[in-house]
Amino acid sequence: MTADAVVARIKAQLASQGIAWREGGRDTFKAGKPETEVRGIATSGMSTFDVLRRAAKAGQNLVVTHEPTFYNDRDLTTGLEADPVYLAKQQFIAANALVVWRFHDHAHAMRPDPLIAGSARALGWTAYASPADPRVYVLPATTLGELASAIARRLGDRGIRVIGDPAMKVSRVVLGPGYGVPALSSANDVVVGGEIGESGGNTEYALDAAAAGQPKAMIMLGHMMSEDHGMQEVADWLRTFLTGLPIGFIPAGEPFSI
Amino acid sequence: MAKGSRDLSRREFVAASAGVLLSAGTPRLTRLELTAQQAIDRIRARVGLPWRDTTVDTFKAGDPATVVTGIATVVMATLPALRQAAAAGRNLIVTFEPTFYSGNEDPGPRATDAVYLAKKAFIEEHRLVVWRFSDHWGARVPNEFAGALAETLGWAALRSADNPLVYSIPSTTLGALTAHVRARLGVKGSLRVIGPPDLRIRRVLVSPGTTDMPGTVTNLPQADVILSGEPREWEAVEYVLDTASTGQPKGMIAVGRLVSEEPGMRACAAWLRTIITEVPVETIATVDPYWRIA
Repeated sequence: MTADAVVARIKAQLASQGIAWREGGRDTFKAGKPETEVRGIATSGMSTFDVLRRAAKAGQNLVVTHEPTFYNDRDLTTGLEADPVYLAKQQFIAANALVVWRFHDHAHAMRPDPLIAGSARALGWTAYASPADPRVYVLPATTLGELASAIARRLGDRGIRVIGDPAMKVSRVVLGPGYGVPALSSANDVVVGGEIGESGGNTEYALDAAAAGQPKAMIMLGHMMSEDHGMQEVADWLRTFLTGLPIGFIPAGEPFSI
Repeated sequence: MAKGSRDLSRREFVAASAGVLLSAGTPRLTRLELTAQQAIDRIRARVGLPWRDTTVDTFKAGDPATVVTGIATVVMATLPALRQAAAAGRNLIVTFEPTFYSGNEDPGPRATDAVYLAKKAFIEEHRLVVWRFSDHWGARVPNEFAGALAETLGWAALRSADNPLVYSIPSTTLGALTAHVRARLGVKGSLRVIGPPDLRIRRVLVSPGTTDMPGTVTNLPQADVILSGEPREWEAVEYVLDTASTGQPKGMIAVGRLVSEEPGMRACAAWLRTIITEVPVETIATVDPYWRIA
């Protein structure tokens, strides 16, 4: 089966789940030739050079990535044409007959969103999902400090960052994937997400809320610490309809050493 | 616009002259007054850049006719920063980042939120004026934020001749540089590092604020490490990771957007003092919003 045919199967499967394909989004081939014969599929949170190396080594030449390959949201290569890092990555892809295809917008359109479900599973929160709001988890009451420590241990998260009083009691958590961090409000105690702009949103709200005597908290896991696990969900889903192809998950992993 | 500024300057001049003439013992003299609008008009006239037609650099709260008792520059006008300014009698707050939770200051669903209302009420109660100074202060050349951040790290004289954003520092390691940055910037939870601690560092790309991808790809080849404010994991972070995969390892020290912008707003206060002498101008320190698990 060619990479093109695999993607056609994914589109058909999505359609059968009620998700119509929308052109013009992020989910396109980013590198390699779509007519390449697929020997195996690797899903990953982000197709870093290291992930591509591991995929090639494992014989998984179709890489299904959630985040970009070429350092910007739309994988535009303008300005990269002469960049040695970009060129080395493209050469590696060509030399190893890899194909990179992005699965972002339509993954988030699935219900449940595998990127959120994957984080919840990794965090051990699945059983606490609120029936009313798929992003809300009602955890046994704890403190912000204990919650953050438990998350860091569980995920092996070195770059985890927290806003809020560590002694604050928390229970209602909103879990957002990657950069899609839900807005902090009076409805919940703490927002957990990947990464977020430090102005124009939750950061000043959390600081203001604490000063106004209505403390709210935010835990930033890092983008890959937030979305890698969801691509394991995607690998599991692909196995349900792409039989006969080896399908694996290659985590991009925690990029930060501290 | 220039005409308006001249008119205001003339009015200020008249007020100043009256103050001098009447100062000889007259108890009810006209005090030298500067309104927030006059202060901003002076900034516009002196910033050294044509004022943009479309800009976020506008009043965000308060009455521009308010007489200024003092000016506080801040990276972000959070409620704690506003309280600190009010307590110090600084009623004009010059902020680099937004105040009301979005780039266009539209609180959206938070318009009825108790936290937003408490912030609005505090501003009104203390007759504060909040004005944003982002597009223009951020556009000065050389970049005020990069220069001030480098100066805070003791590198004022080390700017490289070939690239104004790259500093040639005495040879060190990524680990030692991280310790230096941590100590000098007072960064806590926001500090994140990529790269081995023994990575040799001679040239530093200084990239405060939001570290964008074009700036990283263009400049990082000329440096060993990027000192970043807020990198995106799918942009500068991925690029730095991939450089290591090509056998040309680069480091990244991210200190957070707010922490990285503090020196630039301290420099802004220093610059304001050179053009506004009627009232005290100070900066309010940024507190790293993040903490880390010990």
